[in-house]
Amino acid sequence: MVSDSLRARVGELAVRVNGEVEESLGELELTVNDRYAVEALTSAKNFADVPCDFLHDLCGMDLEDHLEVVYQLSSLRGPQRLRIIARVERDNPVIDSATPLWKGADFLEREAFDMFGIQFRGHPNLKRIYMWDDFEGHPMRKDYVVESHEQRAVMRVRKEGE
Amino acid sequence: MTIEGTQEYSINMGPQHPSTHGVFRMVVHLDGEVVTKVEPKIGYLHRGLEKMAESRTYTQFIPYTDRLDYLAGPHNSLGYVQAVEKLMEIEVPERAEYLRVIFAELGRIASHLVMIASGSLDISGWTPWSYCFRDRERILDFFEMTAGNRMTPNFVRIGGVSHDVPDEFMPALKSFLEDMPEMMEEYYGIFFGNEIAQSRMKSVGILPKELAENLLITGANLRASGVQYDVRKAEPYSIYDRFDFKIPVLYGCDTYDRHFIRLLEIQESKKIIEQAFRDIPAGPVMAKVPKVIKPPVSKVYHRVENPKGEMGWYIVSNGTTKPARVRIRTGAFVNVQMLDAIVKGWKIQDLVTIFASMDLVLGEVDK
Repeated sequence: MVSDSLRARVGELAVRVNGEVEESLGELELTVNDRYAVEALTSAKNFADVPCDFLHDLCGMDLEDHLEVVYQLSSLRGPQRLRIIARVERDNPVIDSATPLWKGADFLEREAFDMFGIQFRGHPNLKRIYMWDDFEGHPMRKDYVVESHEQRAVMRVRKEGE
Repeated sequence: MTIEGTQEYSINMGPQHPSTHGVFRMVVHLDGEVVTKVEPKIGYLHRGLEKMAESRTYTQFIPYTDRLDYLAGPHNSLGYVQAVEKLMEIEVPERAEYLRVIFAELGRIASHLVMIASGSLDISGWTPWSYCFRDRERILDFFEMTAGNRMTPNFVRIGGVSHDVPDEFMPALKSFLEDMPEMMEEYYGIFFGNEIAQSRMKSVGILPKELAENLLITGANLRASGVQYDVRKAEPYSIYDRFDFKIPVLYGCDTYDRHFIRLLEIQESKKIIEQAFRDIPAGPVMAKVPKVIKPPVSKVYHRVENPKGEMGWYIVSNGTTKPARVRIRTGAFVNVQMLDAIVKGWKIQDLVTIFASMDLVLGEVDK
């Protein structure tokens, strides 16, 4: 399913961005460190013969010791698919935004910020998208404690000026 | 004191508004009657499905998937179930594959009918609405007679489908398919050929091809902007590679084309259902699957073509009975972004039609 030219391109890219390539269930995966994420995305978008120029999905992922940002790339002009995984620190998750490459990454990054607290450097409007603005914590993290029913019934204490 | 010109002000629209098709809220910035900016505020229907998935077993999560795009339930569960089947390497019986395709395409027709109906309702066309809902009701009857549920049938299971269709299903489907050409003529005559509808929708809210690709728009909205791309053809899942159908594409990029392409897609879905109806074999509808679904440690990304856009399922398994992560990429959520990009310079009444042409369903936007 994975074409040889794509495999070769990803291999070249992996050397440049110091990443690891893995292949499973017919899907190619490139794991890089956070500072190389945008470089890898830019190169993948501009692969000469197999451009992975459509960001199909962007999401966060919590692996307890670190966080990941997962980019699923595909193309509207070919069958090529690539998954790029960027490792980010758990305590200070900062990564460059993909919005200069794809405007549509806007909402996807806002969701990852909302759910995992990943800061996207250079995002035009990094605000919570699903949860309300003064919500505390990031619900999709594994250590997020889901409130019990009794706790939820306690009314939120109103702040001054509200 | 004199005020020159008009002053920009912002009003709130939704979440309880008849033309926002659910609990969608937007802050509309206006200059007089002209829209200058729209800020979508979503999350009113957020149920945290991705979080819920982590505390449920693989099988327990199937009913929730129906509630994503509740207008076309079977296609959502098809995507999820196929992703799990890829992880487990389960082969699905032939008959089940055909039934899945029939249900998925019926769901697509039902969803597109609602889109056409509500689109006409937003420009005060009541009659097309009643025609579309009359025919959609017949599709929901198919779901009800098979699974007992009208909108969220929970029909697709890991390894097949929950049970075979009842005896009266096939004759009813046959008569429905026979009636379809007449229905299509009716929709065309009463809505798409209507002068008022055309003048309200043609060349309103242009979404150019380059912008659509940059905004990551998928599904029928992308195809109405001149990109011929459909996951069913580009990366056939289930048994879609066996059927002969076309991908309709329109180049108008406007509100009218985004409505009209749905009608063309209904026609193609009808072709698929006809072929599936003709070829469906007899046999079992459920594969032999283990009692406890426990995929090996791995991850998979599976894409399906939902009526609202492309849906992606990224499932990470950690070797237990519960998934480590279920990521749902929904088409409607990403498609929301086109609203602000194309609405500038149009008036409030155009905002309503442009919004209708995006074909959002809030269950999918808010997850």
